[in-house]
Formats: sequence, structure tokens, C-alpha cells
Amino acid sequence: MTTALGLLLAPGYKATDHHPLTICFHNTVGGRPLELSTAVYDNRFGEPFSVEQFKYYICSIRVTDREGNQELLAASVHLVDQADTASLTLRLSCGLKRLRSIAFVLGVDSTANTGGVMTGDLDPMRGMFWTWNSGYIYARLEGQSDSAVSPAHRFSWDVGGYKTNANAAREVVVSIPEGQADEGSGGKPYEGPITIEADLLKWFDGKTAVRLSASPTCHEPGALAMRIADNYSNMFSIVH
Amino acid sequence: MTIFGICAMLVIGVAGTGTHPLQLVVPSGWPAPKYDFTKNPLTLEGFLLGRRLFYDERLSKDSSVSCASCHQQFGAFATFEHPLSHGVGNTLTSRNAPALQNLAWQSAFMWDGGINHLDLQPLAPLTATNEMGETVANVLVKLRRDTGYVRMFREAFGDTVVNTQRMTKALSQFVLMLVSANSKYDRVMRGEDSFLLPEKLGYGIFKQKCSSCHREPLFTDLSYRNTGLPLDTTLNDYGRMTITGNKQDSLKFRVPSLRNVAITHPYGHDGRFFSLLSIFEHYRKNMVLSPLTDSILQHRLPLSNFEIGQLTAFLNTLTDTAFLTNPLFAPPGYNITPVFIHRH
Repeated sequence: MTTALGLLLAPGYKATDHHPLTICFHNTVGGRPLELSTAVYDNRFGEPFSVEQFKYYICSIRVTDREGNQELLAASVHLVDQADTASLTLRLSCGLKRLRSIAFVLGVDSTANTGGVMTGDLDPMRGMFWTWNSGYIYARLEGQSDSAVSPAHRFSWDVGGYKTNANAAREVVVSIPEGQADEGSGGKPYEGPITIEADLLKWFDGKTAVRLSASPTCHEPGALAMRIADNYSNMFSIVH
Repeated sequence: MTIFGICAMLVIGVAGTGTHPLQLVVPSGWPAPKYDFTKNPLTLEGFLLGRRLFYDERLSKDSSVSCASCHQQFGAFATFEHPLSHGVGNTLTSRNAPALQNLAWQSAFMWDGGINHLDLQPLAPLTATNEMGETVANVLVKLRRDTGYVRMFREAFGDTVVNTQRMTKALSQFVLMLVSANSKYDRVMRGEDSFLLPEKLGYGIFKQKCSSCHREPLFTDLSYRNTGLPLDTTLNDYGRMTITGNKQDSLKFRVPSLRNVAITHPYGHDGRFFSLLSIFEHYRKNMVLSPLTDSILQHRLPLSNFEIGQLTAFLNTLTDTAFLTNPLFAPPGYNITPVFIHRH
């Protein structure tokens, strides 16, 4: 939150008239649209898997224009949940035009991790929260895999952590292809939708290899959560 | 009595919101509370809602277990004579329910300190399959269907929204008021009473041998320490290490307060000690020493039989019967917590 405020007050920021800007999240598996429960996919290690749950928190959404000006669009935390279609679309208000990139934090601000019981998308009732070791689960990938040596072959990757050396929040910056967000119809500012694709295959090998056969379960902050977070921080892109 | 007690807790003069502010009285000489009351101002209405929730067995999956099932007023809100807490469907937990007292002065909860905010604490027992076994969503459905609850939420928070945050804030308001500071020890410190000779001798021994961890006035320094408890291999509870992931924290548990200690047996994170005498035997003879044992206990804690006797006399002065029988903390409709609370 401190970072977000700093950006708001940064000298490069220009207050202008605001226009609507729609951002959509499109979750895929290696380019194929993600289907919960039914579809079976393979990761790069040849491990077959199906997905029951795919969710992640994003917050502190910022845009940068061609001149390098930055604007904070939404500081509040939003839960993207593949099972909840409405959660995949964000309707925001934007003052900058001719956007070059979008940045956000994949995770939950540390103040929310230590501030008690929150409401809305951060309501612990949503299950993205560890009750026995307080803190938010920033991202969840759960399903079944014949490669997972675990009860009922279930794999469950809950990634989170806010403490020093176990902070799994990740800053993400995605570039907008040249010209895509320059102008809307009739010379008006571009209102979107800008579609951000999230390729969940990157969870397994976005930076280092994490195999379902070796690590079917991640249920606490720490080294494994940090590796998976490093991996999935590379899953976003904007395709023209 | 109840009405009088409530009136005595009210702060006169603030009105307009429809709620009646309560004030947590900080006992003389105590540090400032750690709980942030600005985020959850105490009101009579919030307290009464929290008390009803605390005593309501419908918060569990099969309406068999309430918060009060394991946190019984006559046991200083610990479980009377149970080593491990019981959950729904004949389940057992792996821990002994701690006393609930002076929680406003505590910022981390559970024997391992894993929960970092009082408002979050109820979510763990509510959802654990071997405790109340319910989902938060289902609890909220039950509360919203009960017009009495909806009315109490409106009275406490201004409108009829029933959500996780309000439910947990109300529960916090109830347990925050559970202040134990009126034992004989407290009266002696205030100059209103005097120790008998064994109590006085015991206090001297306590200050020499116990108070570096069980620090006055809370009788705990709220730290986590390895006191040479061997691992119970049926429970495999490594305590603080589970939270921090640091091997140095293996078998460390929070130092419990000694307030009301005479009636909070069994003792220890897993209730392995059934009496004060067995605790003393542990400290003077049975501790399993290792490099991770707390530095001030590297030679165990020598105690003579004489010292044990005097210490016991002193520890009995920490029993606060005004707290144990305060009608404000009894279930709604009762002036004293009935024994049938203890039915597991």
C-alpha cells in the first residue's frame, strides 16, 4: 500500500479526464482455454493433470503510458477465480492514454495479512486463508494427477506468505503490444478490453522445475511456495 | 446483579450511535493493551452479541460444540480436566485448550503463536474438522436465518449485515472483556490484603526462579521456549517450528500465564501434566536437555521440597474467583456458568 501511494504522488503522474478501461483475465493451459474438472492436460514433464480450482489475488494495478507516466488504477485486492466468470473481468477507470504496460502485484499486501478479518474479496470465508498460521493464500492450483503420489492422487498448491524470506507476493509487469491500446473508436481513448492471458503451465516450469510427482502438496509459506511463486509470476502476457 | 454489573461497565455520556460504549479498564501498573480498539470499539451490544456467539453450539457442524465447550468459565476459560480438547463426532485435537484471560495484552495466539490477530482466532476452531467442523459460510447462513441474531448484529453494528468480520469482531469484544486482575495476589499488590507466610515465601521463590518467563503482571512474557518437553510421537507437535520453519524453534511453546493456574490443570500444550506437582517434577528432574533447551534451563530448575510447598501456596493466590464467577461472562440467561457446559 505504501508503494501504491508513492506512485500516486510520483512527479510523473498527470491528472486527466478519466475513461473506462476493461481488463480481462484469460486463464489457459499452454494456449488452450482452461476447463475445470473435465479436461486433462500434460505439463512439460509429461505429468497428466486435471484442475479443480484455479484462483489468485491481484492488487495494486498500475498502468504506464508511452511517456512513462504511471497511474494507480485500483489499490484494492481482487480475487480472480476461474469458477466465477464475473471475477475474470475488471472494470476500471483510467486517466492515461496510449498505454505501454500494466503492472500489478500477484498477492495480498502485508497489512491485510496482519490486520485481522477483512471483507469482500479478502473475506476469509472465501477459503484463501490459512487459519492456523495466519496469512492469505495468494494463489491456488488444485486438482488430480496420476503422477501425484498423494491420497486420491490429489495435488494441492496453495502459495502465500508475507514474512521476511518467505514473502510470496510477486510484482508482475506485462507489456501491451505496440499500438493496441493507442486509440478507441472515433478517436476516443482506448477502453479495452485488454486481455491478460495467464498460462498455468508456467506454475511447473516458469523459472525452475516443480514436478507434481515430487511436490504434490504445498500448504504453507516457505521454500516450495517461493519457488512456485517465482514460476507463476511469469505466467502473464498480453496477446494482440 | 447482571443489570447492575452491565451498568457499572458503561461509560456515561457518549450517545447518538445507538450503541453503549464499554471501556476496558487497564489495571493499575499494567502495560498498555496490544489490541487496536480503534478498529473495533467495545460496545455493550457488541459484547452481548459476542457472548451469545461464544456460548452457541449451533456454530459447530452438528450443534454439539460451542466455544464454551472447551473454554469454561469455571476453569478460567480453559477446559476443566481435559488434556486434549474434544471436537465434533468423537474427535480429539492435539492441544490443550488454553485459558482465555487478558487477551487484550496478547498479539499472537495459539501455543505456537501461529495466529497473528485476535479477530482471526475463532476461524481456526470453527473450521477445524476435529474441533467445530463447520464452514464459515454455513455459520453465517445459520446466523442470518435467526431473526434474534440479525437484530443483535443491527444493534451492535448499525445495520443487518451479517458477515465474517462482524461475527469475529463481536467474539473479540466478548473475550477482550475477560480480564483477570482481582486475585489475592492483586489485592496484596494493591495494599488491600496481605500474604500468609507460606504465600510470601513462595512469592520470593517465584521472583527468584520463575518470573523471568512468567513475568508479572501478566505472569507470562509471551515468548516461546523449549522447556525440555520430549516429543510425544503420537502427536508430533513441534510447536513454534511449525510456524516459523526454523529448526531452532523446535519444541518451543508459548509461556502460559500462571494466573488462575490452580484451576487450569492439566498443564502443557498437550495437557500432559495433570498437577502442579508433576510440573515441578518435570522442571527439577524430568526435563530432557538438548542444545535447543532454553538457555536459562540448561541445568534444569532445582527446586527443594520446601520450595515446592511455598510456591504452591503462592500460586494459589493467583486464583481470581471474581473472574471465575462474574455473571457477565456466564451464558445468556445465567448468573453463573452451569456445570452442564462441561458435557464432553
